[in-house]
Amino acid sequence: MFIAALILILSVALLFFYLQATCQKVLRREFTQEFFQSIVNANRLEFPAVRKAIEDFGSPVEYPRLMLMLKCDFLSLTYLLKNAANVNQRYSHEEHLLILYFRLVFASLMVRHWLKLRETPAALKLASILQYFANVVGERVNTVRFGNLTASDYLLNL
Amino acid sequence: MTLMSEKILAYALQYGIYILEVVVCVLLASRGRWRQHKGLSLYVTLLFALDGVARPAVFNYFGVSSVRSHQYYYFYWLTDVVLAVGAFLLTCSFFRRACKHEEKLWRFVRVMLFFVPPLVVAISVLALSRNYDHLFTKFMPEFSQNLYFSCLVLNTLLYLMIQQLAVDDDELGLLVCGMGVQFAGEAAGLALFNLTSGDSFARVLAPVLLPACTLGMLLIWIYAVVKVPEAVPVRSLAGRQAAMAEAISD
Repeated sequence: MFIAALILILSVALLFFYLQATCQKVLRREFTQEFFQSIVNANRLEFPAVRKAIEDFGSPVEYPRLMLMLKCDFLSLTYLLKNAANVNQRYSHEEHLLILYFRLVFASLMVRHWLKLRETPAALKLASILQYFANVVGERVNTVRFGNLTASDYLLNL
Repeated sequence: MTLMSEKILAYALQYGIYILEVVVCVLLASRGRWRQHKGLSLYVTLLFALDGVARPAVFNYFGVSSVRSHQYYYFYWLTDVVLAVGAFLLTCSFFRRACKHEEKLWRFVRVMLFFVPPLVVAISVLALSRNYDHLFTKFMPEFSQNLYFSCLVLNTLLYLMIQQLAVDDDELGLLVCGMGVQFAGEAAGLALFNLTSGDSFARVLAPVLLPACTLGMLLIWIYAVVKVPEAVPVRSLAGRQAAMAEAISD
């Protein structure tokens, strides 16, 4: 009975560990170029500012503002993921997984704040997920052409 | 959740697994990567043959009526052991791949892997002596639980080894993560089965948890095969110079 309980606890812990490791591996995907910058500029996203604040000062901006910045960026990027240059207008499997991962890390950030633990690692993780989303959107926008036309050709031919 | 929706969910997961098993095999074959992933191809084929073809066939032939229910029960647990052994061998092949450039380490790992099955059998024989009268109701779930948990421990050691050696193989990392999800789900499910004596667990969680973990593993593997770029061998500087010299002489 004791061994079964021990195996149950360890296995459940390792299940979550492997799911997190899978998300981290997906986030490590290398893009041919940094597509996220144009998406950040066009949509005035704020997650790079969060990362810069952590790098420069060692801690994120004040908590309510941090949560709002990350939440707004998340909503913008998930909308773009679904609707910008996406013919199917639905998320892929890895996007579903990363959205779930974002929500879990976001919840852990709240818990860390309540328990007065370090918020920096969770904030950095959230920023990296958002950067991945922005890269995916940027890559799609960059590759989608209207038939053989580029976006500017398409507009000129209207 | 009502009994009806539970059954629908269980069937959806089950058929989803069969479809994904076929998809993994087709992807490996169509991309010509089955040679590179012989172990993976064999394991997925075995999984489909036993779980997708043989088990339903035996179930349809013998049924689960009180008179003839034992045949399916025996067959299920025996195939479960075969699948666990197959998963163990697949983990060994992942170890080999991780130690591709570390022959010394591979010799040590090989010896360690050789001792794992006898150790699991020895622990399970102890369990057998206690549960001899309940061979298929108590012993087999416990034996499978031990087998899957030892595979989970090995898989975790492999994951840590990949991190420690900084093996530059994202595909292997994802394959190991997928395997870990499957082992952890199976070990947790069987441990819960043993703790609850199979009553409430068997009715509620088993038809959902175990297939969900297998589904997760197959999805991660598909992602690894489709999205991670294939490693292209890069010639060393000496090799490039030799090729250049050869081209000039031609």
